[in-house]
Amino acid sequence: MSTFKYGDKMIKTRDIMVLVPSMLIAVVVLSLPRMLAGVTNAADGWIPIVVSGIVAILLAWFVAKLASFFPNQSFLEYASSLVSKPIAVILTLLFALEGILITAFEVRAIGVISEQYLFRNTPIEIITLSFLWVVVYAVSGSRAGIFRLNSLFLPFIFIAVIILVFFSIGYMELSNVLPVFKTDVQGYMQGTMKSALSYSGIGVLFFYIAFVRQPKRAPGMAAVGMGFVVMLYVLIYFTCIAVFGSATEVLRLPIIDLAKAIEIPGGFFERIESVFYVIWIMGIFTTTAISFDIAVLAITLVFPKLNKIKVTLCLTPLIFIITTMPKDYIEVEQFGNYVSYLDLGLIFFVTILLWGMYLIRGVKKREK
Amino acid sequence: MTRPSLFNRLLNRKQSKEKSKTSFSTKITKNLDDNLHNMKQLLGDPGDLVIRELIIGGLVKRAAIVYISGITDEQLINNNILKTIQLNLKQIDSKQILDQIHKEVVAITDIQKSNNMDDISFAVLNGNTAFYLDGYETVLLMGTTGGETRSIEPPDSETLIRGPKDGFVENIATNMALIRRDIKDPNLRFKQHEVGKRSKQKLILCYVEGITNPDLVDEVNRRLETIDMDFVSDSSYVEQWIEDSFLSPFPQILNTERPDNVSYHLVQGKLAILVDGTPFALIAPATIGDSLQSMGDYNQRWLSATLLRLLRYLSAFFALFLPALYIALVSYHPGMIPSTLAFSIAASREGVPFPAAIEAILMGITFEILHEAGIRLPKVIGQTIGIVGGLVIGDAAVSAGIVSPIMVIVTALTAIASFSIPTYSVAIAFRTVRFAFMIAASFLGLYGIILVYIMVNIHLVNLKSIGVPYSTPFAPTFIKDWKDLILRAPITKLTQRPTYLRPMDNKSGDIKTEKRKE
Repeated sequence: MSTFKYGDKMIKTRDIMVLVPSMLIAVVVLSLPRMLAGVTNAADGWIPIVVSGIVAILLAWFVAKLASFFPNQSFLEYASSLVSKPIAVILTLLFALEGILITAFEVRAIGVISEQYLFRNTPIEIITLSFLWVVVYAVSGSRAGIFRLNSLFLPFIFIAVIILVFFSIGYMELSNVLPVFKTDVQGYMQGTMKSALSYSGIGVLFFYIAFVRQPKRAPGMAAVGMGFVVMLYVLIYFTCIAVFGSATEVLRLPIIDLAKAIEIPGGFFERIESVFYVIWIMGIFTTTAISFDIAVLAITLVFPKLNKIKVTLCLTPLIFIITTMPKDYIEVEQFGNYVSYLDLGLIFFVTILLWGMYLIRGVKKREK
Repeated sequence: MTRPSLFNRLLNRKQSKEKSKTSFSTKITKNLDDNLHNMKQLLGDPGDLVIRELIIGGLVKRAAIVYISGITDEQLINNNILKTIQLNLKQIDSKQILDQIHKEVVAITDIQKSNNMDDISFAVLNGNTAFYLDGYETVLLMGTTGGETRSIEPPDSETLIRGPKDGFVENIATNMALIRRDIKDPNLRFKQHEVGKRSKQKLILCYVEGITNPDLVDEVNRRLETIDMDFVSDSSYVEQWIEDSFLSPFPQILNTERPDNVSYHLVQGKLAILVDGTPFALIAPATIGDSLQSMGDYNQRWLSATLLRLLRYLSAFFALFLPALYIALVSYHPGMIPSTLAFSIAASREGVPFPAAIEAILMGITFEILHEAGIRLPKVIGQTIGIVGGLVIGDAAVSAGIVSPIMVIVTALTAIASFSIPTYSVAIAFRTVRFAFMIAASFLGLYGIILVYIMVNIHLVNLKSIGVPYSTPFAPTFIKDWKDLILRAPITKLTQRPTYLRPMDNKSGDIKTEKRKE
C-alpha cells in the first residue's frame, strides 16, 4: 500500500555528490598510504594523489556531463544512439562484469581484513557470506534506498577519519614529513599509477545519472564529490606519514594501524582500531551495494524482461564463488589491483569512445 | 442440477445483493402498534429498551418515544421532549402535527426525520430517541446521545512536567471538541468514516485543509475505506490495518493521548485519526525522528530541550547496543576494554559458568518478563515485583554466581535507557531489535553488530509511512528540517513546516528549496 508520490525512482542532484565518495571510499584506500610510501620519499606521496585526483575529478565531470546530455535515458539507450546497439550491449555487460568483480573483491577483502583485526578463529566464508547476504538484502530493496543508505553512512566515514586525524596530531613528527620533493620522476609516475587504483568506480555515474530528474548540475556535483574524496585521501595519507614515517611502507593497512597506535583520552576504549574498522565497514558496504546494484541494473537493462530480485539472487552464488578464489591476502590485493585497473581502463575507454562519437557524429534529438 | 439462464442468474444475484443490503426489511407503517412491535422484534426486546407511550392533547393522538437507557441523556429526554410535548398539548392543532412538533415543540437541536427502519434502529442504538406518531410513516430522530463517560483527565501514558494537562477520553465528540479548542481554523477538517461492521464506530480523519498535502489525505482515505472488521476496540486496529508494512518492528503510525500533540502535528501538516471508544489518537505519517521527540521538548527553552533530546538519542543508543556491546567486547574483543576494567570484569566473571552471550540473553529475558509482569499486576501487588526484581534477580543472581555484577549494571542501564524513549510503541520496537543485536554479537562480535546495524538501516530506508520514507529527514535529506530533529532550534527559528511532508502552505523560503531540489 503506497502511492504517495515521493519521487522514489528519481534521485536528487545532491545524491550524486554523496554517491561518488560512497562508491570510491572502500578497501583500496586502506592500503593506499603503504603503496605510496613504497615508491615515494617522505610525504611526497600527496603529489601523486592530487595529480591522479585531478584526473579523476575531470573524468567524473566528463562522465557526468556526457550522461547529463541525455536526461532520463539509460546508459544502454544513449550509448546505443552514439555507438550502435550491439556495442552498447557489450559495454553494458562489461560494466555488469566489472560490478560483479568489484563486489566480489570488496566482500573478500572484508573477510581478509576482519580475520586480521576482529577475529582469527571464525571461518572466512562465514564472514564473507554474512556480509554478502546483507548486501543482497540492500540490493533487493529499492534503488532509492541505496542512495539513502549512502547519505546515512557517509557522514560516519568522514567523522571517523576526522576524529582519527585529530587524535593523531599528538603523535605526528615533523621529521617524518621532511624533506619534501626528493622523489624522482619515476617514483611519482609509479605513485600516480598506484593512487589511481583508489579512484576506480566512477563508472557508476554512467548509470545513475539517468535517474536524476534534472541532471544539469550533476557534473558539478560529481566533481565536488570527487574533490571530497581527494581531500580525504590526502588527509589520510599525510596523517599516516606524519605518524609512522617511512615505516608506513611495512604496515599492511596503515589507517587501521593508525587507529591502533593512537589513544583517545578518557580511556573508554583502549584500542579503537576495531571500532574504526567496523565504522569503515559501512563505507565498504556502500561501495559493495552500489557495484552490485550496477551489475544488476546493467543486466536488467540488457535483458529488460528479467526480474531484479531474481537477477540479484542468481548473481549471488557467482559472486561468492569468485570471492573464494584468491588464496591469501597478497592474492586478494592483486585481485583488487586487477579489478581496479580493469575498471579504470574501461572507464577511460568508454568515456573517450562516447565523447568522441558525441563530438564527431553528434546526436539526433530524441524523438518522442 | 438445474442451471438458470444467464439473465436469470444475473437478476437473482442482483436481487440477493439487494436483499443482503437491506437486512432490516420491515417497513414503517401508519400503525403505531405495528411499528413499536417491529422495533421490539428487531432488537429482540432487550431490557434496556424504553418505550414510553403518550397521548397528545385533545386530539387524542397516540404517540411513543423509543430510546435505550444508559446511552442516552435521560434528563434531556424528560425535560426537552416529554415535558415540552406535554406542556404544549393545547397549542398543537390537528393538521401537520408532526411538522409542528418537529419545528416548534421539541427543544433539541439535532433532530431529523426518517422513514427507514434501518436508519431508525441505528439511531436508537447510537443513543438517539425515536418519536413515533400514530398515523404517520415518518419518525422523528432526536439527538439525545449521552450517558456515563469518563471525564477529561491527565493522560497516564504520556506525562509531561509542563504543558496542558488534558487527555483524550473514550468519547469521540469530546475528543473532537478538544482539538477544536486548540485549532480554531475554519480549514480544520473532520472527515467521518465508519468502521466496524457490527460496532458501527465513528472514525474521524482530521487534517487542516491548505496545509496537509492532499495526496496524503487521499491516500489515508483510500486506506481507511478498505477497513473491514467487526469491531475496533482501539485505534491500534486501524493502525495495523492501514500501516505500510506489517513485517516491520517499527510503528509507522504514532499514537498519542494528548490533544496538544495531535494539534501540533496537524498544523505541521500531518493527519490525525480519532476512533470512537478509545482515548488514543493516531498521527500519521511518522518518521524515525518523531520517535525520539516529545511534546515536552517544545515546552522547555530550546537549549535544555536540545540537550534532553541529545540525551534521549544517547539513551536510544544504550537501549539498542549496550548488551550487544558487552557481549562483543567480553567474548570477542577483550583487548578493547581498558586493561584495569578488563581485569575487574574478568575477576567478576570468574565464577560465572556461562559465556557472556548466554549471561546477557538470560538477564535480558528476565528483565522482559519482569517488565511484562509489572504491567499485568494490579498496583497493590506491584511493589512485590520491585522486590523480586531488585533483590532476588539482581542481588541473589550475582551471589549465586549465575551472572556477573557488571551484567546487572548493563541490564539496569539498558532498562532505564529504554524507558526514557518517549514513545512506547517505539520502545517496544527497540526492545525487539536489541535482541537481534545481542544474537548477532554473540556469533560475530562487533562485526555482527555492524551487520545488523546496516540491515536495520536498509530496512528503515525502504520502510514508508503512508508513502513517506521512514528515514526522512535524515535520508532523503531535508537539511531544513534538521532544525527540529536532533536539535530543537529556538521557537522563533521554527517558522517552517517540515518540508518532507510537502505541505501546501509553507513559508516563502521553501519555494527556493523546491527549485534547488529540482
